[in-house]
Amino acid sequence: MRMVNFRTPYNAGRLALALAAVLFLGFFLLPSQLQGVFQAIGSPIGWVLSWPLRAMAGIQGGIADSWDSFVALQGVQEENKELRKELDQLKGQNSQLREAAAATERLTALLEFKGQEMFPMVAAQVIGRDTGNWYRTIILNKGESDGFRPDMGVVTPAGVVGRIVKTTAATSVVLLVTDPNNAIAGLVQRTRDEGIIEGTTSGQARLKYIPLLSTARPGDRVVTSGLVGGFPRGLSIGAITRIDKAEGALFQSAELTPEVDISRVEEVLVIQSPNLQTESERSGHAKGRRKP
Amino acid sequence: MKALVIAGLIAGLIPVQSALLPHMTLWGVMPDLGLIVVCLAGLFAGELEGLLVGLAVGWITGLFSAADLTVGMVTKGTVGYLAGVAGRHIVDVTPAVLVLGLLAASCVSGLLTALVLTLNEQQDLWWALRTVVLPQAVLDGAVGGALYWLAWSRLNIERFVSEYRT
Repeated sequence: MRMVNFRTPYNAGRLALALAAVLFLGFFLLPSQLQGVFQAIGSPIGWVLSWPLRAMAGIQGGIADSWDSFVALQGVQEENKELRKELDQLKGQNSQLREAAAATERLTALLEFKGQEMFPMVAAQVIGRDTGNWYRTIILNKGESDGFRPDMGVVTPAGVVGRIVKTTAATSVVLLVTDPNNAIAGLVQRTRDEGIIEGTTSGQARLKYIPLLSTARPGDRVVTSGLVGGFPRGLSIGAITRIDKAEGALFQSAELTPEVDISRVEEVLVIQSPNLQTESERSGHAKGRRKP
Repeated sequence: MKALVIAGLIAGLIPVQSALLPHMTLWGVMPDLGLIVVCLAGLFAGELEGLLVGLAVGWITGLFSAADLTVGMVTKGTVGYLAGVAGRHIVDVTPAVLVLGLLAASCVSGLLTALVLTLNEQQDLWWALRTVVLPQAVLDGAVGGALYWLAWSRLNIERFVSEYRT
């Protein structure tokens, strides 16, 4: 019979093996609990690390700004920037007015008007992007301490950007509307057909589950339906570029071009919708939930 | 001292990875500096350091990503540990050995991540291999090899590593 030798001298290799075994066993047995613990411990670390991140974003923004100003004609550059901002605002306004007009028409017919509830919005700056290649996200310079929580909607005046999936004390991670793992409830503004909007691997978005009898066509605008998630009704998401009807399918789907140019977004507004769980509440109750 | 060096390295890694590298992508993919650091730590400092640095880098980078925290910790911890084990058996680390090692480590880590993450129906294994795993492995190998060459041939870091080991 072989005896266990307890006098084995200490070495780093064995310690590493034991530590790895314990941790990995823990990760496989209690994934959501450990995820919650590490997320909670990481919140203040996120605050500390947000400072070099902000500094880098500031330096990068400064360099990009001065480069643009020197290479392009300064006046034209500024004017273009202003016009783009104005266009974005007008797009958003136009979408909301269209939505308001459609709603007024419908509700007047019903003689029963109920004002749409608007949640307060907080501005935040984009300071980075996802540290990996698997998800399309942006990092904001505000987090839990500013009242941001997972599932809150993120928009610009032009339309929907995405939703918050993770927060630390001073930063938030926003999963973009173009990420295939994102799902937002939307509707075709003209026909009022509802569906689910998901990102595509090519960086666009797709409206799924449109009824077969829908008359949706390219050029139609798609807005949030306000049914679920952190978005009120009527925020612009994009315009339909193509309708796909598969043979024998129960639904049709539509390819969208998002209203917001995700690659250029610098400032956003976070919709502070109530009744959303905090990160710790979420991880405490997230039994077996692995997807963001 | 070791802990301070590692903490400083990670604090510098996050801004570069999330603010600078997204503007320098190739084939829509950026290199994973965290993985390169973990491999180098394991290779030159041993399996315990490789594992600890891997866990720390996986955890911290996970805080700034939509990806699952535990997946990053497990994959990077494993890579760090395996790099440490490999470091014991490799007598002479040349740039070619390092590039090939990083290529293999990045492929294994990427495949593990693709298998563990619950990805969308559009993102099958072939998509993951073609668009993320392989391009990232090539970039990781190239960037790691370049960093190694720069550190060894220009900055005389060999002396620092041998002092660190003792």
